[in-house]
Formats: sequence, structure tokens, C-alpha cells
Amino acid sequence: MDPVTARAIEETLAEFRKRPEKPAGILPVLLKIEEVVGNVPRDSVTPVARALGVTEAQVAGVLSYYPDLRTSPPGSHLVRVCLGEACLANRGGRVLRAVQDQLRVEIGETTTDGRWTLEKVYCVGNCGVSPTVVIDDVIHGRMTPEQVPGMLERDR
Amino acid sequence: MNPIRLYLPNDSSSVAAGTGRLAEAWRDRREVELVRTSARGAYFLEPVVERDSPEGRVAWANVTAEDLPRIIAGRDGMPVQDIPWLRRQTRTTFANFGVTDPLSLEAYKAAGGFVGLRAAREMSCGAVIEELKVSRLRGRGGAAFPVWSKWHEAQRADAAEKYVVANADEGDAGTYCDRMLMEGDPYRLIEGMLICARAIGATRGYIYCRQEYPAAARTLEQAIRLAGEAGLLESDGTHIELTVVRGAGSYVCGEETALLESLEGRRGVVRAKPPYPAMVGLYGKPTVVSNVLTFAIIPALLARGGAWHASLGTEGSRGTAVLQIGGRVKQAGLVEVPFGLTLREVLDRFGGGMAPGARFKAVQVGGPLGSLFPESALDIPVCYDAFASAGAILGHGGIVVYDQDTDMVDLARHFMAFTAEQSCGKCTPCRVGSVRGRELLEEIQSGRGTGDDIMLLGELGETMKATSLCGLGQRAPFPVMTAIEHFGDEFRNRLSALRRQD
Repeated sequence: MDPVTARAIEETLAEFRKRPEKPAGILPVLLKIEEVVGNVPRDSVTPVARALGVTEAQVAGVLSYYPDLRTSPPGSHLVRVCLGEACLANRGGRVLRAVQDQLRVEIGETTTDGRWTLEKVYCVGNCGVSPTVVIDDVIHGRMTPEQVPGMLERDR
Repeated sequence: MNPIRLYLPNDSSSVAAGTGRLAEAWRDRREVELVRTSARGAYFLEPVVERDSPEGRVAWANVTAEDLPRIIAGRDGMPVQDIPWLRRQTRTTFANFGVTDPLSLEAYKAAGGFVGLRAAREMSCGAVIEELKVSRLRGRGGAAFPVWSKWHEAQRADAAEKYVVANADEGDAGTYCDRMLMEGDPYRLIEGMLICARAIGATRGYIYCRQEYPAAARTLEQAIRLAGEAGLLESDGTHIELTVVRGAGSYVCGEETALLESLEGRRGVVRAKPPYPAMVGLYGKPTVVSNVLTFAIIPALLARGGAWHASLGTEGSRGTAVLQIGGRVKQAGLVEVPFGLTLREVLDRFGGGMAPGARFKAVQVGGPLGSLFPESALDIPVCYDAFASAGAILGHGGIVVYDQDTDMVDLARHFMAFTAEQSCGKCTPCRVGSVRGRELLEEIQSGRGTGDDIMLLGELGETMKATSLCGLGQRAPFPVMTAIEHFGDEFRNRLSALRRQD
């Protein structure tokens, strides 16, 4: 772990130690680390377990359980293509293929230049204007495969 | 001249449809004043812009930035009350949508907000629960459990601490009514939770909001803060603490016991029931866990009385069904109607027919665990009992229409792959069965499958249904088995392709 990440994790844990309420749950601590660091490095399991007084297995268990907890840094931009049923019915599969062709990555991969990470998502509640692609925090509705290249170009 | 006030929805899907771009384009136009509101749920019309008129709101649909001159001139607008799609609905929980700023407490109060809470505070705990019993309200999250019974158990329990938990982990694809409620009418959810807290004697409430709904979580946090500043979270000198907790992408955390595990910060693994959360819930304390929509129904129910609620709907399903129609229809959107219309009536009256070029193939009701219906089965009434006796579920009210281009083998494989990814792993039949199910469907998909594989899928499905603890494992076989039942040729044709090769 690089020293900047280590310090960020230490500060996050210190913040949680100060809170008087119930014993801090593992998940909120890991989510906070992800928010601060950008991911939850596997090396953080030991310090988190020590700080919370739980076993490393418990921390590792939570880390591996939740899809949103990443153990390596994602690309500069995150593209999430919705594979929920309303999006699938409305040809979301074709939109996904267009994104894969454009970025030349599979789901879960990051482009070699580190700009884009492609992920799938099961529904963001945008079914009324599906199919859906989410780029970083922006939800795009009524997507067509033809719109994909321009959109990924523009957001570069 | 005063600027003309234009109402522009700020709901996530409206923004995705273009209201954000319109707001950006018109921001510096002096002749208009923009008010961001919730959405009416008529997503096929978005982006929608509305104006006041002496006869009520007038709407312009599918607006582009270039439409501003005709909106300012008041040309070609449609009175909202004349929109048939809205007029045919019975909007109760969703009555206020599309009208005001979701965070305006004044607007919420002006529309009858907090009347239910005031009524509840003047009643005894037992009387509130009795009112719920009279209303015959059943939980809207999927299990359709009588709500009063949970409250009654939690109220009776003797404990120093009790909790109210709103399940905002709306994970069923094709559904978004909870998102709309949290983004568009957050005080309604807050009021419902406060009524519950008052009835069972809880002082803490949590809203477990899925990570995929960041705007909903933000709006709700602001609403809680504003309600607190206005003193609305105090009751008889007791402060009710409400907290929004974010999920982390796990579908199974929508199951109430997995949700509680996750709220406590652990893996979202399902607990065996009983004991039910009403007795042993969050941190082992009595806890009412209900869906966002269920809590949002409570304020009107207390304001208008349980008998009013019970007067709507069918024998076993009282009140309104909140349906979200999507997929290959012309008119996607949120529809609130009394229970009892047939599925065909719902699709005809509100779906508006198939999208251009699309022919109906199947409809799925109740999310990724819901059964598929072919055209011949559409005369089923939309209510809990009819669906239960057909082996189907209404779930959270998601309705997705598939057209002729949908490959049923691919779709069945998608469902099993989804379960395999989402299974929490506690029950072996779900954890292993879903993977084996996916593999069998991949064999069929690739043309290597045999008739035995289809038989094996059936047996596997029966095992999963009978031996899984929660709805995920119990329900996962249904979309697959109904696909095979109604579209068996598509599966068998993949097999015969292999025989031809031989």
C-alpha cells in the first residue's frame, strides 16, 4: 500500500473511533475508505479488523460480498450499462455491445489507457426511459447503439 | 412583465430524458422562471414542461429547447386534467406528483401533509394499529404481509429500544416507485415512518437506500434535516432520529433479514425466520421493516381512515396497485389504480400498445423473480390472490413487456446468471443450484443441450423452490420455468439443432 492510501485509511478509522454510538459496522467503514481512497485495497483488511476489534475474515468477508466495494482503482471514468429487464427488453444488449466495441473491453475491465472502466448494473430505476447507460454520476436514458461513440468521445 | 413560471421535473428519469438539458438551456432566459418539481411518472411524455392556467396546469410533452417560444405563447399545450393516461388513474399515494418542489414543507402541508401524523398522535398506539387492521393494508415490498400484524407484534414486545426500518433497496429491475417517492415526495415517507415509530414506541428509524439511487438518498437526507429544523421529528418531547444508510450493490439486501445484517455492517446474508424482525430485528430488537411504498401509504390512510383504504381494490388486495409499466410498450410510466383490473386492461389502458415495430411476446410481472405471461394468460386480475394462485407474484409492481426479438433461451440464462451472481450463499440449493441452472441453460444456448437438460432444469427448479430460505432461491426458477412452459419450442429447437449436426 502506498503511504497516501495508508494515511487515508488511518484517518478514516480514526474518524470512526471518535463516534460514540454503536460499534461501527464493517460495511460503513469500508464504504468510507472507498469514498476517500477510490477503492478498498486488500491491505486495508488488517488495519480495519484491528481498529474494529473483529477478525480479518469478517472484514474480508464483507469486502468480497458487496459488488460496489472495489479492491483495485477503477479508471478515470466509470461506464455502467444497465442489464435490468426493462433495458434488456428495449435492446440494452445492443447498447452494451456498442460500448464494448468502442472501448474494446469486457464487463469489469478497464481500458489500457486507464480512462474507462466498464461495469454492468442491475437497474437504476430509469426503466421509464430505458435503455440506460450511467457515465460517472450522470444517467443517460433512451440510449441507442449509434449514440455510444459520440457520448464516450465527448466525455473523454 | 413578470417572468412566466415553468415547472420542470427534477426527477432522475426526467433529467435523463432531457429536463436537465432544458433547464441548462433556459437558465438565462429572463422571460421565464423555472421551478423544479417531482415527476408525474408519465415517462413516455418526458421531458414535460408545465405552466399554470386558470383551469389548472397545462403541459407540453417531449419538449426540446426550441419549443420555448410556443410554450411562452401558450400554444399547443394540453390541460393536465385532460391527459387520459392520468385521468384513468386513481392517484392517492402519488396524487401530489409533478406539482411542487419535493423539499417544500409548505407545499407538502398544503396538500394535506402531516394530517395523518397529527391524527395518529391524538390516538392511542392500539387505535392506530386497529386503524391499520381495518384498512387491510398488505406490505407492498413483495411478500404482501398484513402490515398491522407486524406493528402489533413490535408494539407488544417489551424492549428498551425498538426500530423502524424503511426498505429502500428497490432492487427489482423494472420498478422505480420507491425512487420516485424518495426523490419526489420524501416527507410522505418520513411521515409514514413517524406514524409507525409513534405506534410501536420506537425512537430510531433507518432508511436503507440502495447505492444506485444517489439522488434519492440526497433528497431524503435534506428532507430529514428540514423536517428536524421544523420540529416535526419531535413527539411528546421525544426526538425520533431518522438516518439514511447506503447499500453497496447487493440485490439480496432487499430481503428484510439480509437488509438488517447489512444495516449492522456485515455481509448481507439472510437470517432464518422465525424469529421475525418484529420480535428480533435490528441489533436483536423489535423492528418493523417495511417497503418505502408501504410507509408512504400510511399518512393518507390515517388521515382518511382505514375504511377508506379498505373500500378500494379487491377482497384480498385492498387499496391501490402501484404499477410500473416498461419494456416494449408505447407508454412507459408509473400507474396507480385500484387492485382488480386485469393485466390485459392495464396494458391496454396505460401501455398504449406496442412500441413501433414491436409485436407482443410475453410480459413479466414482479421483477427478475416474476413469472412470464404469454398473450393467452393476460386476463388475470392484478391482485395478490389471483397472482398467488397462478404461482406468480405482483412483487413490487414491475411490468416489463418483451417483443418478438426477445430470445427466451437467452433471457432464461440471464435470469439464472442474475441469481447466481446475487445469491448470498447461505442456502446451498440457491448458491449451487443457480450456477448449475446457468450452466445448463448455456449448454442449451450453445446448441449442445439435450432433452435431459430441460428435465434436469425442472428438477433443479423444484429443489430450489422447496429448500431455499428466502424469495431469491424460492422464486428464481419461476421466470425460467414459465419461459420453458410457454415458449418450449424455442428451447427444444436449440436441442434439435444439435441432432441435425450429428
